[in-house]
Amino acid sequence: MTQPIIEFRNVVKKYDDHVVLNGVDLEIDAGKFYTLLGPSGSGKTTILRLISGFLDASSGDILFDGKRINDVPAEKRQVNTVFQNYALFPSMNVYENVAFGMTLRGVAPAQIKTKVTEMLELVKLKGFEEREIDELSGGQQQRVAIARALANDPKVLLLDEPLSALDYKLRKEMQYELRAIQQRLGITFIFVTHDQEEALAMSDWIFVINDGEVVQNGDPIDIYDEPINHFVADFIGEANIIPGTMVADNLVHFNGQDFKNVDGGMRPNEPVEVVIRPEDVDIVSVEAGAVTVRIDTVSFRGDYFEITASDMDHHEWQIQSTNGVEEGSRVGVTFDPEDIHIMRLNETEEDFDARLEAYDEE
Amino acid sequence: MKKQSLLMKFYLIVVFLLMYLPIFYLILFAFNRGDYMTSFTGFSLRHFATMFADTRLMGILLNTFIIALLSSLVATLVGTFGALGIYLLKRRNLQNVFLGLNNILMVSPDVIIGASFLILFTMAGLALGFGSVLIAHIAFSIPIVVLLVLPKLNEMDSALIRAAQDLGARPYQVLSYVILPYIWTGIMAGFFMTITYSLDDFAVTFFVTGNGFTTLSVEIYARARQGIDLSINALSALMFLVSLVLVIIYYFIANHKQKGSGKHKRATVNQQLGGGVQ
Amino acid sequence: MKSKQSIPYMVPYVLWIVLFVILPLLLMLIQSLQDIHQQWTLANYANFFRSGTYLKMTFNSIFYAFLVTVITLSISYPMAYGLSRVKNSQFWLLLVILPTWVNLLLKAYAFIGLLSQTGTVNQFLGFIGIGPQQLLFTDTSFILVASYIELPFMILPIFNSLVEVNPSLPNAARDLGATPWQTLRRVIFPLTLGGVRAGVQAVFIPTLSLFMLTRLIGGNRVITLGTAIEEHFLITQNWGMGSTIGIILVVAMGITMYVTRDRKKRGKR
Repeated sequence: MTQPIIEFRNVVKKYDDHVVLNGVDLEIDAGKFYTLLGPSGSGKTTILRLISGFLDASSGDILFDGKRINDVPAEKRQVNTVFQNYALFPSMNVYENVAFGMTLRGVAPAQIKTKVTEMLELVKLKGFEEREIDELSGGQQQRVAIARALANDPKVLLLDEPLSALDYKLRKEMQYELRAIQQRLGITFIFVTHDQEEALAMSDWIFVINDGEVVQNGDPIDIYDEPINHFVADFIGEANIIPGTMVADNLVHFNGQDFKNVDGGMRPNEPVEVVIRPEDVDIVSVEAGAVTVRIDTVSFRGDYFEITASDMDHHEWQIQSTNGVEEGSRVGVTFDPEDIHIMRLNETEEDFDARLEAYDEE
Repeated sequence: MKKQSLLMKFYLIVVFLLMYLPIFYLILFAFNRGDYMTSFTGFSLRHFATMFADTRLMGILLNTFIIALLSSLVATLVGTFGALGIYLLKRRNLQNVFLGLNNILMVSPDVIIGASFLILFTMAGLALGFGSVLIAHIAFSIPIVVLLVLPKLNEMDSALIRAAQDLGARPYQVLSYVILPYIWTGIMAGFFMTITYSLDDFAVTFFVTGNGFTTLSVEIYARARQGIDLSINALSALMFLVSLVLVIIYYFIANHKQKGSGKHKRATVNQQLGGGVQ
Repeated sequence: MKSKQSIPYMVPYVLWIVLFVILPLLLMLIQSLQDIHQQWTLANYANFFRSGTYLKMTFNSIFYAFLVTVITLSISYPMAYGLSRVKNSQFWLLLVILPTWVNLLLKAYAFIGLLSQTGTVNQFLGFIGIGPQQLLFTDTSFILVASYIELPFMILPIFNSLVEVNPSLPNAARDLGATPWQTLRRVIFPLTLGGVRAGVQAVFIPTLSLFMLTRLIGGNRVITLGTAIEEHFLITQNWGMGSTIGIILVVAMGITMYVTRDRKKRGKR
């Protein structure tokens, strides 16, 4: 195992009595695209600022390349940040902004010029050197901010919700580009966002943050398919979350019936929550269905229909289907055993990981 | 970082001390038993007694406050309607011409204002005295009121006026029910600001006051040229208290109900203080 | 309310502009172009520019105003910077403003007490063994007191421009490797030039025209343009020459405003 480039060991951040980060441990490996995902106020930006050095940890260690950097000032750290509102210097033009870090270090002008040109090409802003910042659109400012941060050759690039101010289309475009830039340069990106879709689309690895703690971390597919708890299931993607009990291994009871599933390793009759993603729910005839529901609303979303329905126990179901159904009609729904995900109540991430690994070994 | 901010705090404290030392020094010696501002020989209120017994000084104090109140009242009235007029002008460049003219007296050195008013009053055959001082104070106070009221007007949603008209309000009703209540804090701020400018003015008054009439600043100047007189210290203690009260009233008004745009408002006022008459 | 309706409101205000803004300056200009017999002449101006005394006085006045501006600026910038960074900065700002509400004459008077032959400062100097010095009625005392009086007027506009700097900009600079000093010099200072200009205007012009300080503190050793105007109007009664100096002061003011104007007009954000 190679040494992580950034490591948090039980990092706590509090203001007076207000705890923002409650003992965070995390490891960041070089060369990957990481996302810190969480609702606003969860502490994700705090983690970013602890890495960049704008905040000091109340306790715990922050390591960079294996060395403790808690006391290293921000300007001496080999990380650079793309700020949420870009923070471009309005008194300088595009060239001067991108050159700023190198100018400080006293790099030779010719070398600066080469690097600035290279960076502006990378972000597709060739020929914008002499533009003033206030002459640029939001998307262009965003690109300058990225070029400026990358021009310093950081080992890690921190991105603090950089796409939140852009409109939907531009945002999609920037997601692809950021991903492409990261893969081309091969440096570590740590991206902060509250947008789960963005996180799933871009990342190699996601840390889900809530209430100052890392709730779950894993690759996008794992996190989507095997959410650890109600919060993650709800926050990431749409989910039907139904209370149930684990009757035995591979058998779960909910909605008044037993269903076959692929989870196990729990106490008999342990209360659990069942997660079924809307796209895994199939609409069939009432006779063929496992559960009978009444269709409440149907809305067309372009490539699919979003359907809400309620069952006899008044649980609401969210269903995504490529075919429309009539509102008010009664239909059956089914799902495969693999699509039933079980979440234990209050399971820690270690136990959760151990349990998942146990299945894999079986 | 830590060390530097400590140094910074030290610096701030030193500058504040330097700023306040002369003022507190002045006030301290108002309570001196002795007659000089050199050594404090014991606590006494006798200079206050002397000050209050000095009928000439008390008369001047009264004059000064009458001038300040009257000039501020008139200036606030004229300035408010002036600001209203500028606000209602449709053409932007005409607005700018008026604002430019308005600011001439704000940026002109006092000596120029004083000297040119002296020429004006002499040409007009106006006797120098209470009247000329009052008119001069009104004249230099008007632009201050305009500068404090106009931003309030600009900040007001013009749809309010249209809505009132739509509901059948006549122009004077629009003014009294919609506009005046909205800009009231600006008007009050202007009133108190001009009072302090008037109380503080020396140079303009000095030029247009003639022989018979004196305000406080002019009197202090005359006495200070003759040397130390601790009843002036007593007076300064009194005036400091008045300033303190005015400052508190002014800030209460200026910052009242404008949490959102407070910074901008303050900037306007400060700019004014900065470009102010001395 | 249409434009037309604004006319009655404007009457007193427009009257004020004509009578007290345009007319006085016009009269002053006319006065400067006439001799004592009200004949049109340029003699006053010729006199001003030919006489070494007037030119020397103008130069001195500008030099002293320059010194006062430099001194207040160098004290004010760190002060405003520090103030913009402390908690409750609006309260501390109030403490900066408060002295400006204390009557100017009283502040000058305080320095008479402090700096006089037997004053507190001289007592202190005697105590530490330097012995009493002539402090009052010197060039230095004028510069000191003028700087003291003008200080808040320099701090305020700089403070206002500092608090308007987007707080993420200093962070961005540090993130890119700038030391606190480099951040201040290369990022913050250029963004607050507007405030510095406003401060320079607010200090330089009034200092050119201060006249009572030159008498009370400077002991007539320092003669500013303001002192000269006062002298010609109220003592020698030579209004023509006084007006000429006045017009020159107005021109000097115009030049100061022009030099310190915002050269690069940029939309904010």
